Amino acid sequence: MLKTAVQEQLLPGDTLQAKWDFAQQAGYDAIELRGKGEFHFASRLDELRRARKDGVVMPTVCVDMLHFLGAFDDDLRRDAVAQMKSQLTVIAEIGGVGAQTPASYGMFSRRLPPFEPPRTEEEDREVLLAGLTELGEHASKEGVTLFLEPLNRYEDHMVNRLEQAADLIRAVGLPSVRIGIDSYHMNIEETDPAAAILAHADVIGHAQVSDSNRFQPGAGHLDWHAWLGALHTIGYDGHLALECRLTGDPLEAVRSVPGFLKRSGA
Amino acid sequence: MNSLEGLLDRPVPAAPVDLTLRRGAARVLMDNWTGASTVPSPALYPHQWSWDSAFIAIGQRHLSARRAQRELESLLAAQWSDGRIPHIVFNPAVAADAYFPSPDFWQSSTAGRAAGAPPAPETSGIVQPPVHALAAWLVHVADPAESRRRGFLARVQPRLAAWHEYLLSRRDLGGRGLAALVHPWEPGMDNSPCWDRALARVEPATAGTFRRADLVHGHPADRPTDLDYGRYVRLAADYREAGYDDRGARHGFAVEDPSFNALLITSELALAAMSHELGMPGERYTERAGRLTRTLVERLWDAEAGLFRVRDLHDDTLVGEDSVSGLIPLLVPHLPEDVVRRLRATLLGPRFHAPATELVPSYDLTGHAFDSHRYWRGPAWFNTAWLIHRGLRAHGLRQDAERIRSGFLEQATRSDFAEYIDPSTGEGRGARRFSWTAALALDMLCADHEEFRP
Repeated sequence: MLKTAVQEQLLPGDTLQAKWDFAQQAGYDAIELRGKGEFHFASRLDELRRARKDGVVMPTVCVDMLHFLGAFDDDLRRDAVAQMKSQLTVIAEIGGVGAQTPASYGMFSRRLPPFEPPRTEEEDREVLLAGLTELGEHASKEGVTLFLEPLNRYEDHMVNRLEQAADLIRAVGLPSVRIGIDSYHMNIEETDPAAAILAHADVIGHAQVSDSNRFQPGAGHLDWHAWLGALHTIGYDGHLALECRLTGDPLEAVRSVPGFLKRSGA
Repeated sequence: MNSLEGLLDRPVPAAPVDLTLRRGAARVLMDNWTGASTVPSPALYPHQWSWDSAFIAIGQRHLSARRAQRELESLLAAQWSDGRIPHIVFNPAVAADAYFPSPDFWQSSTAGRAAGAPPAPETSGIVQPPVHALAAWLVHVADPAESRRRGFLARVQPRLAAWHEYLLSRRDLGGRGLAALVHPWEPGMDNSPCWDRALARVEPATAGTFRRADLVHGHPADRPTDLDYGRYVRLAADYREAGYDDRGARHGFAVEDPSFNALLITSELALAAMSHELGMPGERYTERAGRLTRTLVERLWDAEAGLFRVRDLHDDTLVGEDSVSGLIPLLVPHLPEDVVRRLRATLLGPRFHAPATELVPSYDLTGHAFDSHRYWRGPAWFNTAWLIHRGLRAHGLRQDAERIRSGFLEQATRSDFAEYIDPSTGEGRGARRFSWTAALALDMLCADHEEFRP
């Protein structure tokens, strides 16, 4: 059985401890944290330490900002790298395994006007390799991993498929940089999501789950058996972290996921 | 109805499974999946094969019920309007010379048009054993909710019913109710010595008029001989020239095969179960299965030999060769008790109990034509072992079934999911990472066999 995690904003309760109670009752094994910008995540260190002491399991953090390591603007890019370094340090500090980020989000899409980005593909690659190397070296020093998440074509123009992330990661050459896969984006971008998991098994480090319509698993039409079967086949031993919108009663929706994933072969 | 339920029972996930074997089998099926179906082996068999797809779906259902359904749906999408399910559905994206006989040889969309071949895709014109309804039913019971959501049974049942109609009407060449086969490739056991006598009457196609693709990837010592291959080509070409019209063609080869007909009986029972599930009357299929069972015993049981035999319709006599085909009727639930007892004795006796494998050799180990390497003239195959295992279970012979199951799993792993096994040495032969071997290993692992432990 693969382990499950749920992002903190999906859980009811004012404290991580209260959220953890709910998560455990619903059958989750962990909470995935969200890391806001302006070093907000680092400012939560005391809260996170207390939660850890109280037994809350928090293996990963997913970035929650509007600029990223692939930003066109140099200042924003430098800030994003600084924020991610800080998030890696904090997640290491509380005994977690890593932090997840896309190359960019909502900055540019080749499918929407004006269609041609201001940077060439070569320049994009250079920027991403530099950022990933800097973050990978920092992660390595902290003993954690940076997870690069491919997003669908409407949300990012640089890294949409596992093979693109894998190519960058192999070029960086650091074991502290891995792919953070997401079932929703894979459903849009991969010819065969299960085959993509097998093909890039060696560089997959984390997995997020939501269905074909971005709602909780079970609300859409993904072939979960095939997707989870592929993760089993490669011996994936990380979490399946729920990152999604919710349809129906929100608490019932969150509660439904561990059971649904289990019935689907998790 | 107890034995029917035993035959068509619902698999229950077993608790302790061999994770490595499970992962290995799943990987083969994922690697060989093309998006709508699974190739038996990417190099040797790069298209979709009829009975392969049925066996593959039986394993695939444990990995993804949706893929298992798609596997059967994509095959049925190439069904001819006369009801026949062609033995190969060609993938147009694969080079024409990757497999022989190729679409250029069969010419289904033109030569088969009058018989009901679809304009596309291109297919072969002959058939393979009817494992499909059994497979469809097993796929349904693996995930009934997903099956109902997709309307799986409602869509496949009429096609499967038409397939059986075809076999029981146009292929009743002996006039006694059994389905007859017009090419040695149709029973799925291409070069079995059971066909030698009938084949000897066939004038081979001239060497040089065809090019074998199977030798590019397979070892000649493991494959059918060139002479036999020339005869296969002649029979197929004659059938094509007759427009694949079963009644109009003069069949140079026509046999009733016990394994083919036993699978038809089992699939008739699956059609009955499907009809029941869909709220339609299914008695017709149950009755037909009963009638077929009686005819199978009357026509093909050889009490002296202790197994079923092939009937050659040329002179309406039984062929004096003992092959695994004659043991597969164990799958039929309502066999007379003494027939089951004799079949078990034959299975455990010197003709079919191999020194180096618990799988069942394809041909009598003591027979004059036995060849431990050559395809269906001796090697032990995983699909026939799966069928016999299932038959033993249906008749409550659990210890015998368990012996086959454990040998099956051990050899599937050790041989890297080989196409077949040399029964004298236990070595894997033919293709590796062969889809139905992996699929049926997954089924052996995931279906509930706890109760069959000795």
